[in-house]
Amino acid sequence: MIGTTKKPLEEVLAALAPYRKVAVVGCDGCAKICQTGGVDEVAQLARTLEAHGKEIVFEATPERTCNVAKSDPILKPLTDKIQEADALLVLGCGGAVQITRYLTEQYGLTKPVKVGLNSVGHLDTVVPGAVAMEECSDCGECVLNDTGGICPVTRCAKSLLNGPCGGAEGGKCEVDHNRDCAWILIYERLKALGETDKLKRFMEPKDFSKMAKPRTLYIKEGRVAS
Amino acid sequence: MKLTELFAKGTFVFTGEVGPVKGCSRVNGGPPPEFVQEALSIKDYVHAVNVTDNQSAVMRLGALAASVLVKQAGVEPIFQITCRDRNRLALQSELMSACTLGIDNVLCLTGDHIRLGDHVSAKPVFDVDSVQLLKIAKGLNEGRDMVGNPLTQPTDLALGAVVNPGFEPLDLQLLKMEKKIEQGAQFFQTQAVYDPIIFETFIKKAEQFKVPIMYGLLVVKSPKMAQFINENVSGITVPKWLIRELESVAPQGRKEKALEISLRLAKEMAPMVQGIHFMPLGWSDLIPPIVKELRG
Ligand code: SF4
Ligand code: SF4
Repeated sequence: MIGTTKKPLEEVLAALAPYRKVAVVGCDGCAKICQTGGVDEVAQLARTLEAHGKEIVFEATPERTCNVAKSDPILKPLTDKIQEADALLVLGCGGAVQITRYLTEQYGLTKPVKVGLNSVGHLDTVVPGAVAMEECSDCGECVLNDTGGICPVTRCAKSLLNGPCGGAEGGKCEVDHNRDCAWILIYERLKALGETDKLKRFMEPKDFSKMAKPRTLYIKEGRVAS
Repeated sequence: MKLTELFAKGTFVFTGEVGPVKGCSRVNGGPPPEFVQEALSIKDYVHAVNVTDNQSAVMRLGALAASVLVKQAGVEPIFQITCRDRNRLALQSELMSACTLGIDNVLCLTGDHIRLGDHVSAKPVFDVDSVQLLKIAKGLNEGRDMVGNPLTQPTDLALGAVVNPGFEPLDLQLLKMEKKIEQGAQFFQTQAVYDPIIFETFIKKAEQFKVPIMYGLLVVKSPKMAQFINENVSGITVPKWLIRELESVAPQGRKEKALEISLRLAKEMAPMVQGIHFMPLGWSDLIPPIVKELRG
């Protein structure tokens, strides 16, 4: 999922300062899991905005706002209401905001679309409701088959591909002593699997062209282009 | 002079280390900058001097410029180059620049993470790792860049690398050491290690690789520095006995004590290695007496 945190209320209010009638759009996918933009958080923020003198035109929470197929059926019937609003506030990732903007443009509307959250990145839930961790950087060329299912690109602070730097101590990373050194985790895991031989293989420098932004995924062809 | 030539002749090699200043070093006819003076002060006792590259991720004068100044002063530099601040174009370009400017030795490193230095909000690069950098550097020596384009003239650089004997699990570090050799490392300097038993265990396993290894001796100046290393410098542990010994003397006597400890370590480790790399952190005046004693 895409991790998000709430922007401070002052920042949201500042962004909405010029506008009185506001529509609040959440996301019942990732933002719900992060407890930042599900139905409950949308309602909560709407009430807070009302207390600060805003008029809430509507509240909507598509299941996945970044997915046009999910958000269009919710937002399209609200075109008149969107027309009425001075601005839309999206409690979703930056992608959700831009898809919302894209849709309003599709509806022939030019409306300010503001963001109420900070996007942190592709994170994976470790402890539901409490902890999500970055485990993959979407590099486009997955090495997990050779690294015991632990990603060095993401979990090693230096993204090293050929083994650890000399900085680990007591199994912890030189950058953060509370975090395990990814390469020691990989080593232990491969040892348990009887596959330490994999560590001997030289890994070539990464093809970062596969990470060049913005990437486009052509779903039918299974093709990524940048 | 390439260190590899010295090793080939069977010379026991000594190297020192200086850190470029934080600032411009144009001298305008004045005395040479401090790090050059430090290098000059040990000129007769070491074969070469490492010039560190934004060490500990603290921004300083560039290691290449500093290496060239050291060379111009008549001391052989070992140019340290890290993957932290440069992508693959910059690394290759810098290696060719180094060779062009007369540098013969480079030490290819990953580099400390930016989070440990004085520009913590910088974007870390780590486009390639140290093993890949060695392969790239070897390719440049063979006359082609890393994507296979020919160079008008190949570089001619002796390629060094580092290894941490105190790393646990050691086998993992040895796997990486072996990879470095396969990809082009011609000699090693070790990270600081003070326990002869740990060092011996490492050497016994590393001997099979048949590459020259230099024992890395970081001079511990005070109990406070030892504590700092143990708390903040990753990958190095200063043992209790060493701290206690330093504590046993008054501050005025610390330098002499540090010399005594360093000499003892150097003597103990020397038979196991092909050279000693001193990291004196400014106390380069400790190097001559140790080298004199070892040379006999
Ligand atoms: S190698 Fe790591 S970053 Fe790349 S796709 Fe696999 S898990 Fe993601
Ligand atoms: S200590 Fe381990 S995880 Fe941290 S940067 Fe070094 S190799 Fe990567």
